[in-house]
Amino acid sequence: MNRTLNVIRMQLVNRQTYLWVPVIVLGGAFAITLAIYGIIASAGVEGPMYGGGAQAPLWYFAVVGAQALTLTFPFSQAMSVTRREFHIGTHLTAALTAALLALIFAVGGLVEQATSGWGMNGYFFYIPWVSDGGPAAAWLFFFSLAMLFFVFGYWGATIFKRFGTAVLTAVLLGIALILVGLLWLVGRLEAWAQVGAWLGAQGSLGLTLWGLLLIAVLIASSYLTLRRAVP
Amino acid sequence: MTTVIEVKNLTKRYRDTLAADDVSFSIEKDTIYGLLGRNGAGKTTVMSILTAQNFATSGEVRIFGENPYENAHVLSRMCFVRESQKYPDDATPRHAFRIARLFYPHWDQELADQLIDEFQVPMKKTIKKLSRGQLSAVGVVIGLASRAEITFFDEPYLGLDAVARQIFYDRLLEDYSRHPRTIILSSHLIDEVSNLLERVIVIDKGRIIMDEETDAVRGRAANIVGDTAAVDAFVAGREVIHRESLGRVSSVTILGELTAEDLSLLTRAGLDVAPVSLQQLIVRTTQHAGRTAGDAERAASDIDEGALR
Repeated sequence: MNRTLNVIRMQLVNRQTYLWVPVIVLGGAFAITLAIYGIIASAGVEGPMYGGGAQAPLWYFAVVGAQALTLTFPFSQAMSVTRREFHIGTHLTAALTAALLALIFAVGGLVEQATSGWGMNGYFFYIPWVSDGGPAAAWLFFFSLAMLFFVFGYWGATIFKRFGTAVLTAVLLGIALILVGLLWLVGRLEAWAQVGAWLGAQGSLGLTLWGLLLIAVLIASSYLTLRRAVP
Repeated sequence: MTTVIEVKNLTKRYRDTLAADDVSFSIEKDTIYGLLGRNGAGKTTVMSILTAQNFATSGEVRIFGENPYENAHVLSRMCFVRESQKYPDDATPRHAFRIARLFYPHWDQELADQLIDEFQVPMKKTIKKLSRGQLSAVGVVIGLASRAEITFFDEPYLGLDAVARQIFYDRLLEDYSRHPRTIILSSHLIDEVSNLLERVIVIDKGRIIMDEETDAVRGRAANIVGDTAAVDAFVAGREVIHRESLGRVSSVTILGELTAEDLSLLTRAGLDVAPVSLQQLIVRTTQHAGRTAGDAERAASDIDEGALR
């Protein structure tokens, strides 16, 4: 267990990857969004205004997930760390940073509610259907969203590391084809109404739990790939 | 003697090459081994399979009697920093050493500090910006200061200048005599490391062509120099691994120990005996094996079983 915890310290050597770039992405997206809200508000628009800028650091988590594997797995092997220790320690690191990011989002949402969107009815962190479940539900939603991005990046990187670029591309294309096929199937069965109703019934908490299930599946499957990967 | 590494019938096949071809050998505790061979002979592959970084196609590896794969108990007693080691993107040597200290239970910080000073490792530069020699120095510091029970050095001198290489050899011997452990040094600069080595394992095209004590190897061959006709008469019927001629003078390298009778025969014929350096011997054995490999199993098995064993 001690060695697994040490993997966290090994991962956090990448200050730039885990700390500075996410902070810059988040801070930058926040500043730009507020500036745009300011321009719109000064033009006399009453809002409420919502923007997608808060997604930026979440997308970056996919990059972090990929780099956690490609940059640090070879070194972990030279430190005589087992693949299992590396796998668990790396996901603990991800959980730690995702928890921190989710905390910023949850608290940011509360602040925006309290200040009525920075006094100009513009929202960056606050999403009504997420935050209305309470700060804990909002935190869990953002935590699992960040984890999902991380785990997906890591999962792709293990396939790349073990099988190479061609196989990774083929797998990603395969997934895209399956998704398109599903869309076609839903349209064919004229089931969009049912799908919409099901999504509505899940609510943000329900979707969060489905997300956690997907995260667990991806973590387990990337472990099976990593078990035979070579640095 | 205690065996710490036991390899049986190890084969590693890449798409069209055999990096290890039915290799068997064992490594004894507290001994310095040289794993010698040309670039691409399979040295790094064998070491990375022993440390469970890579996987064998077939065969068996036992470290301290156990399978090393995903075995933290066994792995934490071994250290293998490869020649082309990758480090975390933002890592500086300071980070790398701090992490190594976390994972290696016998890490000696004092020794690490001394080596960092002697090799002049820049501690605050990111590792990806280091020169080849500085990169090698980082690996050497980790390898020595980790004091792992089995330590692999993979061409550790690459890019190091002569002074730094001598520091490495001196510190290795010094620390080894104070803290005996098993050291496996892969190298193609054979003469430079030959004084360190107690045993040599020579690997060529994925096969082991020599596994012997260094001193015994040195006595196994000799250069016979003198008049071509006299040299030819003397070497007739012996295993010749190399021949050079200039005018009427020939220098022929033969395998096999020279007896007292041989020596008096040589004196009478007016021939000189010159010692063969380990490097010469290995180079010529390797070339010899390469030449004869084509024309039958017989010649190769002569080398394996006859002359060298």
